[in-house]
Amino acid sequence: MKKISHIIVIFSSLLVGGCSGSDQKAKAAPEGKVIRLWVAPDESQEAFWKVVVARWNESGLGMPVAFETIPAVESSEKAILTALVAGNAPDISTNIFSGFATQLVALGQLQDLSVMAGYPELIAHRRMEKIIQGWDQGGKKYVFPLYSNPTLIWWRMDILQKLGIDDVPRTYDDVYKLSEKYAALDQKYGMQLITGKNWYDRWYDFISLYYAASGGAPYITDGKASYDNAAGLSVLTFMETIFKREWTALDFESDDPLTTGLVVGGVRGPWSIPFFERLYPQTLEKIVVGPMIVLREGQGKTFTFADSKGLVLFKNSKVKEEAFAFLSWVLSQDEYSLLWLEKTSLPPARGDLMENAIFRAFYDTHPLARQYAAYVDVALPSAFIENTIDVQKTMGYEMVEPVKFGTKAPKDALADAVRRTNKLLDTVN
Amino acid sequence: MKLGEFNEAQIGAALAASFLLFNVIFWAYPFVWLVILSFSDWRFFDVPTFSGARNIVAVLGDLEFWRSLWNVMRFLIYYVPIVLACSLAFAFGLKHIGRGKVFIALCFLLAHISSGVAYSLVFEKIFSSTGPLNSFLLEWFGFTIPWLSSPTMAMLSISLVVTWKFVGYYGLILYSGLAAIPPEIYDAAKLDNTKPLKRLFRITLPMINAQLVMVLVFAITVAFGIFTEPYMMTGGGPMESTNMPMLVIYETAFNRLQPGRAALMAIIIAIISYAVLKLMRKVLEKNVELV
Repeated sequence: MKKISHIIVIFSSLLVGGCSGSDQKAKAAPEGKVIRLWVAPDESQEAFWKVVVARWNESGLGMPVAFETIPAVESSEKAILTALVAGNAPDISTNIFSGFATQLVALGQLQDLSVMAGYPELIAHRRMEKIIQGWDQGGKKYVFPLYSNPTLIWWRMDILQKLGIDDVPRTYDDVYKLSEKYAALDQKYGMQLITGKNWYDRWYDFISLYYAASGGAPYITDGKASYDNAAGLSVLTFMETIFKREWTALDFESDDPLTTGLVVGGVRGPWSIPFFERLYPQTLEKIVVGPMIVLREGQGKTFTFADSKGLVLFKNSKVKEEAFAFLSWVLSQDEYSLLWLEKTSLPPARGDLMENAIFRAFYDTHPLARQYAAYVDVALPSAFIENTIDVQKTMGYEMVEPVKFGTKAPKDALADAVRRTNKLLDTVN
Repeated sequence: MKLGEFNEAQIGAALAASFLLFNVIFWAYPFVWLVILSFSDWRFFDVPTFSGARNIVAVLGDLEFWRSLWNVMRFLIYYVPIVLACSLAFAFGLKHIGRGKVFIALCFLLAHISSGVAYSLVFEKIFSSTGPLNSFLLEWFGFTIPWLSSPTMAMLSISLVVTWKFVGYYGLILYSGLAAIPPEIYDAAKLDNTKPLKRLFRITLPMINAQLVMVLVFAITVAFGIFTEPYMMTGGGPMESTNMPMLVIYETAFNRLQPGRAALMAIIIAIISYAVLKLMRKVLEKNVELV
């Protein structure tokens, strides 16, 4: 019996010990004595927070932090809302996109960060003045952007060269030409144009292309849809042409078409770099990154969409000051921005990525990541509206899909999508 | 008082009480809350306030909701004949199998207990425009089928997947009916030179009417309650062609944060599905008795 109880004790200690780090010790502290942090359910981001939280807790500079990944439910948004309703929300959460932040603000759940002690210094240190303007909500700053992922187009250079093309396509005409050549081969397509069936896939197809075509004009202005214009029409006409000539498949849900060589190019974010490094290193060697394509090439860099997410501090937190002190400590140290970059490949939301010497060595050895960093200043987040999901679903149902199936002309599709979106926005507002 | 001293009525009441208690907790209480919610303005965080007829007006004018109800009818048009034909085929097959009957039945039932999310992901890949099924069709027959990417085909594809899930379950129900038909009836029919098709329509199907109606009740219930397959495989698209009521209710409650409207939608769906079931039973249910 004694032996059995020993085994149980040893097993329990191993189990607890296996889970324990300095962060986990903090987790056991009573409520109000520990800062609870939820981080994105992503292996590389988790690796970053594990290091910084452990260092903070060891340093004894402030209240200990306990971190965990956002519980694995259907989406981060659902998990956070559920926790808020249940009164079990953390003090800080990462992985917040603009639309969800707007929803949380409307529900009165977020703390204005700009009134916290040390906020202006933090913004100045990271040279984020320009970036933070894009996150303004009625003069308040509820979200601190952590990273900004521009969407760019990955091209298979080996296929381009086989087709006799030396540079990445930059205009719609360039894509037409290469598609014509490549689609002439058996069962091939020029480009993966539509990213997927979900509402958020519009960020990576229509919205990315629209930002490029419009020179960064918003698609929602003063609570109204504003993409029924020449830029919107050019994007939809491009889509119509590609689908009509069967230069892209209706969907690519089976395998990543860049790896199978089914397409020459497709929109990807920097998060694809570690993914390809791990699973498709040979394909990654053949990839070159180009800007979003446009009707006519202009001067300067082409605008694109930024898949940008940030962290928030919840209003009901009992340890707001302490939590912000921890955030200031992490975010004000350049070495942690570098660590973030090394662990995740996602460009940290900073205005000095290309100038700050601390990032130079990383970017010198990571050319793909460098190209993404170069586009951070022309990458725009999605609209700050409560009904992001409905607005983007409408883009799909009324515009992108009818154009894809040839049931609506681009002009009509644009008008219908804008009409339905405005009706939706009117109802809510 | 010993157990033997309770009368039958008291024991029956005690047993029924547990069932009633279960229903009060898990059915009556949520239903009452659902009704209260459907007349409330609430965003999860604030105190619910009386909304008057606002939710009713909003739901009645919600085209997406009514389109989703139409999609239920479209689903039924595909699903009912396919699942009935396949389940009957399975039941007939099972009846004629000598050995391994239990094993085969279990194989079919595996689909029924599989995770909806897992098999939806698998079917999404199989049905992809560039997936294995289309690659096979292209290689052997020179054409592809837009299984999930065409507004017309997507609902049929979902019906096929749901059929795959339920065919074993429904098939066993029908098999129980087939097994209960006395063989003498068929012997007599054979003596009268009745042809197989006539035997099917005049003997077999009428004799398993109760099982057929039961399967239809289940099929209609599935149609109104289907969520995982369209959510995972098509997301309600393309062009809202597979947007089912449960998806709309879910979006309304948890994405638009309008649980009041979602509750009202749920009540409307419950009423309509009950009416459809009543109508189906009135038209198809027959009292078959062997004299």
